[in-house]
Amino acid sequence: MPSNTASSSSAPAGSADSSSSRTKSKRPKYSKFTQQELPACKPILTPGWVILTFLVISVIFIPLGVVSLFASQDVVEIVDRYDNDCVPTPARANKVAYIQGGADKSCNRTLVVPKKMKQPIYVYYQLENFYQNHRRYVKSRSDAQLRSVKDENQIDACKPEDDANGRPIVPCGLIAWSLFNDTYALSKNNQPLNVSKRGIAWKSDREHKFGKNVFPKNFQTGNLTGGGKLDENKSLSEQEDLIVWMRTAALPTFRKLYGKIESDLEKGDTINVILKNNYNTYSFDGKKKLVLSTTSWLGGKNDFLGIAYLTVGGICFFLALVFTIMYLVKPRRLGDPTYLSWNRVPGGGR
Amino acid sequence: MKRFVYINDDEASKELCCDNRISNTKYNLWNFFPKNLLEQFSRFMNQYFLLIACLQLWSLITPVNPASTWGPLIFIFAVSASKEAWDDYHRYLSDKKANEREVWIVKHGIKKHIQAQDIQVGNIVWLRENDEVPCDLVLLGTSDPQGVCYVETAALDGETDLKTRVIPSACVGIDLELLHKMKGVIECPIPDKDIRRFDANMRLFPPFIDNDVCSLTIKNTLLQSCYLRNTEWACGVSVYTGNQTKLGMCRGVAEPKLTAMDAMIDKLTGAIFVFQIVVVLVLGVAGNVWKDTEARKQWYVQYPEEAPWYELLVIPLRFELLCSIMIPISIKVSLDLVKGLYAKFIEWDVEMVDQETGTASYAANTAISEDLGQVEYILTDKTGTLTDNKMIFRRCCIGGIFYGNENGDALKDTQLLDAITSGSTDVIRFLTVMAICNTVIPVRSKAGEIIYKAQSQDEDALVAAAAKLHMVFVGKNANRLELMFNGVMIRYEVLEILEFTSDRKRMSVVVRDCQNGKIILLSKGADESILPSACAGQQTRTIAEAVEHYAQLGLRTLCLAWRELEEDEYLEWSVKFKEASSVLVDREWRIAEVCQRLEHDLYILGVTAIEDRLQDGVPETIETLRKAGINFWMLTGDKQNTAIQIALSCNFISPEPKGQLLLIDGKSEEDVSRSLERVLLTMRTTTSEPKDVAFVVDGWALEIALKHHRKDFVELAILSRTAICCRVTPSQKAQLVEILKSCDYRTLAIGDGGNDVRMIQQADIGVGISGREGLQAARAADYSIGRFRFLKRLILVHGRYSYNRTAFLSQYSFYKSLLICFIQIFFSFISGVSGTSLFNSVSLMAYNVFYTSVPVLVSVIDKDLSETTVMQHPQILFYCQAGRLLNPSTFAGWFGRSLFHAIVVFVITIHAYAYEKSEMEELGMVALSGCIWLQAFVVAQETNSFTVLQHLSIWGNLVGFYVINFLFSAIPSSGMYTIMFRLCSQPSYWITMFLIVGAGMGPIFALKYYRYTYRPSKINILQQAERMGGPILTLGNIETQPRTIIEKDVSPISIMSTQPKNRSPVYEPLLSESPNAIRRSFGPGTPFEFFQSQSRLSSSSGYTRNCKDN
Repeated sequence: MPSNTASSSSAPAGSADSSSSRTKSKRPKYSKFTQQELPACKPILTPGWVILTFLVISVIFIPLGVVSLFASQDVVEIVDRYDNDCVPTPARANKVAYIQGGADKSCNRTLVVPKKMKQPIYVYYQLENFYQNHRRYVKSRSDAQLRSVKDENQIDACKPEDDANGRPIVPCGLIAWSLFNDTYALSKNNQPLNVSKRGIAWKSDREHKFGKNVFPKNFQTGNLTGGGKLDENKSLSEQEDLIVWMRTAALPTFRKLYGKIESDLEKGDTINVILKNNYNTYSFDGKKKLVLSTTSWLGGKNDFLGIAYLTVGGICFFLALVFTIMYLVKPRRLGDPTYLSWNRVPGGGR
Repeated sequence: MKRFVYINDDEASKELCCDNRISNTKYNLWNFFPKNLLEQFSRFMNQYFLLIACLQLWSLITPVNPASTWGPLIFIFAVSASKEAWDDYHRYLSDKKANEREVWIVKHGIKKHIQAQDIQVGNIVWLRENDEVPCDLVLLGTSDPQGVCYVETAALDGETDLKTRVIPSACVGIDLELLHKMKGVIECPIPDKDIRRFDANMRLFPPFIDNDVCSLTIKNTLLQSCYLRNTEWACGVSVYTGNQTKLGMCRGVAEPKLTAMDAMIDKLTGAIFVFQIVVVLVLGVAGNVWKDTEARKQWYVQYPEEAPWYELLVIPLRFELLCSIMIPISIKVSLDLVKGLYAKFIEWDVEMVDQETGTASYAANTAISEDLGQVEYILTDKTGTLTDNKMIFRRCCIGGIFYGNENGDALKDTQLLDAITSGSTDVIRFLTVMAICNTVIPVRSKAGEIIYKAQSQDEDALVAAAAKLHMVFVGKNANRLELMFNGVMIRYEVLEILEFTSDRKRMSVVVRDCQNGKIILLSKGADESILPSACAGQQTRTIAEAVEHYAQLGLRTLCLAWRELEEDEYLEWSVKFKEASSVLVDREWRIAEVCQRLEHDLYILGVTAIEDRLQDGVPETIETLRKAGINFWMLTGDKQNTAIQIALSCNFISPEPKGQLLLIDGKSEEDVSRSLERVLLTMRTTTSEPKDVAFVVDGWALEIALKHHRKDFVELAILSRTAICCRVTPSQKAQLVEILKSCDYRTLAIGDGGNDVRMIQQADIGVGISGREGLQAARAADYSIGRFRFLKRLILVHGRYSYNRTAFLSQYSFYKSLLICFIQIFFSFISGVSGTSLFNSVSLMAYNVFYTSVPVLVSVIDKDLSETTVMQHPQILFYCQAGRLLNPSTFAGWFGRSLFHAIVVFVITIHAYAYEKSEMEELGMVALSGCIWLQAFVVAQETNSFTVLQHLSIWGNLVGFYVINFLFSAIPSSGMYTIMFRLCSQPSYWITMFLIVGAGMGPIFALKYYRYTYRPSKINILQQAERMGGPILTLGNIETQPRTIIEKDVSPISIMSTQPKNRSPVYEPLLSESPNAIRRSFGPGTPFEFFQSQSRLSSSSGYTRNCKDN
C-alpha cells in the first residue's frame, strides 16, 4: 500500500517517535476512581423526604426549646445596678471628678432574694459599654511575661503600659493596668456572708498561664493610675481577680466572676452589700451591676436559646405544612419529560 | 525590504542573519527569575496578595501573624514557577534535538557534516531521500535529470500528497561536481510567513551560464520540515534559517490561554475587591469617628493625644487586612489542583483510548478544561480529522450495470471480474481511464512492487483499484505510459494533459494508443461537468441515477468518459492549446476555453465511487455536538467539492430540502463582494426558518472578504451555524478563529496536521488528533485525542463536569471567605470599630487551608448527571455554554447566602454566649465552629452524588476540625489552651451548634426544594428523571435546532431521503429569486437586533430563571 510506506517513512522525526511511545506506555489503567465511576448515592429531593425532614427538625427543636426555656427560667438572678446610685447626690453633676477624687467611696446596697437560691451562688460584676475587645486593649498584654520570670522583659506588645521608670511592669499592658477594683462585702440578714474568692479563675489559667513565681513589680507606679493594685507578695497565679479580668470579654457587656457563695439563700432573705465604688466607668457612661445568680445545665439566665429553638422549630413546622399543602394542591411529577422539550425556544421560555 | 543571499560565500552572508538555531523557549537561565516573577505579578490577584502580605509586616495594623499570608503566597509562587521552568526545559530539550541533527553542507567546495544549527544563510545543503529539510532552501539540483524532486509538505500545510519541486531554469544541466562550486546571488524578500509565495530572483555568477536574472517561485523551494521523497538526493542553498524560516514565522508564540471561567472569576474577584474597598472605607471612617468621639473617653484604651501623621490610616488599613480574606488565597491553589485533576481524568479515561494504536488522550494544557464545557464553535480540519484519510475504490457503474452493490466492494464483485476476463470493451476502456487519466507516477520499489505516487488520493485509489482489476499501470517514462493488462503490455503516449481546475471540475488526457496509433481523449470529472458534454444520443439517465445513488451513500463519484479523436481534429486543437498555454493574460481562462472545445461529445463509460472513509462515529459525534448547541465550521485546504461531499456525509450540513448551501465566490473582487452581500442577505432571512444554512467560501474569496468586507464577513460568521471554508491556508484558518474569538465566542479548533497548528494555537482550545499525519498538531494542541469521536466525550463529559465543578468550587471559595469576613465585620461593630479579629491567627489560617478546602476539593468527583444522561441530552450543555452556573447572578446568590449565614452565626453566637460566657477565645471558637458546621452542610447540600470520598471528606473534615482544635487546646502555650475541651463539655455549645445549623440550613434547604420541585432547571428535571428511573429514554427524538421557532415535526433526515431532483447539494439563490425574502430582512426586526438574539441564542432561551444561584 502506497500510503503505508509513506506514513512509516515519515517517522524519522525523533521527537515524534519518542512522544508516541510515551503516550503508548501511558495507556491508562482502569479503576473506578480514574473513570469517575465510584458507586454513588444520588439523593433527590422528593416531597416526602423534604416534608419529613422539616417535620423531624421541628419535632426535635420545639421540645429542645421548651427544655432550654425551662432551664433558663429555673435560674434565679439578682441584678443590681449601682454605678449611679453609689455616687452621692451632690457629686452626681461631675461623677468623673468624684470617682477620681479622694473621698470615701463606700456604698450600701440592699438586695432581696426573690426565690430560693441553691448554692453555689455566683457573684458577678457586670460592666456595660466597656470595650475589653478593643484592638488597642486586647493586644496589650504579654503572655510570656505572665508565665515565667525570665520573660519579664517581653513587653513589646504592652505599650503604652510597658515600663515604668525604665523597668518593666509586671504584669504589663492595658488589661492588667485597668484591673477592676470595686469590692463587695456581703451580709445576709446582718450575718456576714462568706464570698469565696478561691477557684473563680480557670484552673488552666492558674496553673499554666500565670506563673507561680511571678510576682507583681512596678505595678501601678507610673504617672497614670488605672484600676486596682496588686499584692506584691502574692504570685500572679494566686491573683485570681487579675486572672479573671485578663480573660478578655468579646462583648461590650460582660460579667466577670467576683466570688461564690457556698450556702443556700432563702426566699425573702435580705442581702446587704457594702461596696467600694472605686472603678471609673463614668467617663464613658459605662454601667456597673452586681449580679447574684445560680446556674442551670445551660448556664446562666438566658432565654435566647429557648426562644430561638422554638422559633426555628416553628418555622420548620410551618414549612412542612406549606410544602404539604403545596404538594396536595399542586402536585408535580418529578422528572416529567414534558418539561424538557428543548425547543420551547426562544420566545416560549422567557 | 530585500535580502541578498550569496550562494556559497561565507563572508558575504555572514553578517546577514542568524544561524539555524531554532528556539522555542521562553526563558533562559538568567532571565528566568525576573521574567517569571514579572509575569506572575502581572496578574491582579497576585499583586493583591503581595500587597496584603507586605501590609501584614506592619505589626501595628496586622490582626494576625504575617506568616499566614506569606507562607501560602511563597508556596503558590514556587509551584507556578517550577511548573513554568519544567515546561520550558522540555521545550529546550526538543529544540536541542532538532538543532543538533546532522546535515551535509558544502563549505569551500567540500562536503561537510555539521549540525543543523550551524547552517548559515548561503550554505548549500545536501539532502538525501526521506531527509527532513533543515531550513528554507532554494533548490539547485536534484538527482533527477529533469531537475524535479518530490516533497511531502504535510508538516507545513497538512497535505499528504507529494508535491513536485523543480530546480530554477538557470540551474538546469549543471553538473554534479560543479554544484559544489556554484556561486551566485539570490534576491529574496525578508522572511515572511506566507508558505504559498516566494517571489525572488537568482543570478548565477560566471562561469555558470550567464548574467541573466532567473525568477524564482515557491516551486523552486524546499521549506523547512518538509520531507524529501522519491528523490535520491537534492541540494539547495539556504535562504532563511532558524526562527526566520517560513515555518518558524508561522509558528507564532503560543499565548497562555485563559478560560472564560477564569475571566469570570477574575471579574468577580474585581467586584469583591471593590466591595472590600467600600467596606474598608466605610469602616475606616466609622472607626476614626468612633475613636475620636468614644475611644477618647475610654481611659483604659489610652489613646494618645498626639498621634503620628499616619494615625488616620491605621484603622482603615487594619480593616483592609481584616477583610483581605474576602479574596481567598486558597482559590488559586484549589483551582490549580482540581484543574490538574480534570486533566488527569481526561488522560485516565479508558473510553478515550484509541483501540487501534493504544494511544490515550493527553492533556498538555491542564488549565482550560472548563472551557471545553463552554465551547460554542468547533473549527475542524477535514482530512485526517473527520476522515481516515484513506480513499478506497468501492463501487462502479459501467454502461448502466452496477458493480459492487451486493457486497459493497466492486473489486470482489465476480460479475465485474467476469466482465474483465470476457474482455467487454466498455469495461476495458473504463479501466484504462482509471489507470491512466491522471498524473500518477508509478515507482518501482526495491522489492519490485509498484508504488503509486499520486497528488490526489482519489487518483491513487483509482489507479490502485485498476491494478487490482488486472489493469496495472506499470511505468511512466517521459511521455510513455506502460500498462499491463492480463499480462499484455499496452503502451500509450501522452500527448496533452488537460489539467484539473476547480472551475472545470474535470481533467482529461489525450493519448495516442501505440498499438494502433489512434488518438484518444480520456476524461474524468464531476458529473455536472461531464454529463453535459455527453455525445448526442447517449442516455445519461442511468449514469445520473448511479451518481445520485452513490452520492446518497456518501461516496465520492467521478464520471469517466472517452472519445476517439481524429488526427486532424487533434492537430488543429493542439495548436490552439499551445497558443493558449503561452498566453500571458487570463491564461487559465483561455486554456479552459480551449479544453472545452475538445471535451465534447464524450462517450460516458461509467461512474466510479470512492469512499473517503469517515472515522468511526464522526456523523454521530457531529450530530450530538450540534444538538448541544455547538456550531461547526470546517476549514480545509482541500477542494470545495470534496469538502462539501464530506460535510454532507458527516451530518455537517443537511442535503437540499432541509439544508441550503450558499456559495461565496467569484472571479474578481467585485464578484466576491457581490456574492458575499447576497449570501449575507439570504442568511439574514433564512436564520428565522427551520433550515440548515451553511456558507461555503474558498481561500481566495476569503482573502478578499477579509480584506475589504471584514464587517460583513463577521456578521456572516455570527449568523451562520455552519460554514465550509476550503482551500484555506494555515494563517487563514487562524484568522477565522480570531474572527470568531473577536465576537466573543468560545472556539475549539481540532486538526491533525502541521497546517492546523496555528489555528490550534489561536483557538481558545486546541485539540490535536494524534493521527497519521504526524504529531505536529498533537504537540501544539492543548488536548490530543486519538479519534475525532472522542471529542464528544471530551466536551460533554469532561468539559461539562469540569465547568460544573469549577463553578461550584470557585463560588464556594468566595462564599466561605465572605462568611468569615462578614462575621469579622459584624464583630467590629461591637468592638469599637477598632479592627479586632474575632478569630485567632491559627484559626484564620487553618480555616482556609484545612477546614474548608478539603471537602470542596472532593467536589471534583461530583456528578450532577450521569454520563449516559448527558449523552442522551446533549442540549444540557447550554447551561455551561451560557455560563449559567457561574455568573454575577449566581454569585449574588452565594454572596447572599454567606451574608445570611454570617448573620445567623453571629447573632446566635453573641446571644447564646452573652454575659458571663462572653470570653473572647471561647466566643471566637463558637463562631468558628458554627461556620464549619454550616459549610459542611452547605457542601453536602450542593453535592449531587455522594461517593465514599464525599462522605469521608465532608464528615471527616468536621471530625478533623475538632481533632485539630483539641490538639491546639492541649498546648499550654497556645492562646486557645483548654478552650475546645471546655466548650465541648458544655451542653450549651452543642445546643448552639444545632441551632446554627437548623437556622442556617433550614431556609436554604426549603428554597432549594422549592426551586427543585416548582421551578426546576433542565438539569434538575434530568436528575429527577434519571434517579427516579423515569422514561428518559423516550426523549431521544426531540427536535434539535435551538433556533427554530416554528415547531416542525421533522424526523431526522438522512442523505438517503433526498429527492432525486435536488441531487446537487449546492443551491445558489439568486438575488432576483427571493425579493420577498430580502425585504423581510429589512423589515421590522432590524438585522442588528436579530443577531443579538442569535449570538446568544442559548441565553435568550428558556432557562433564564433557572439559574442555580441558591
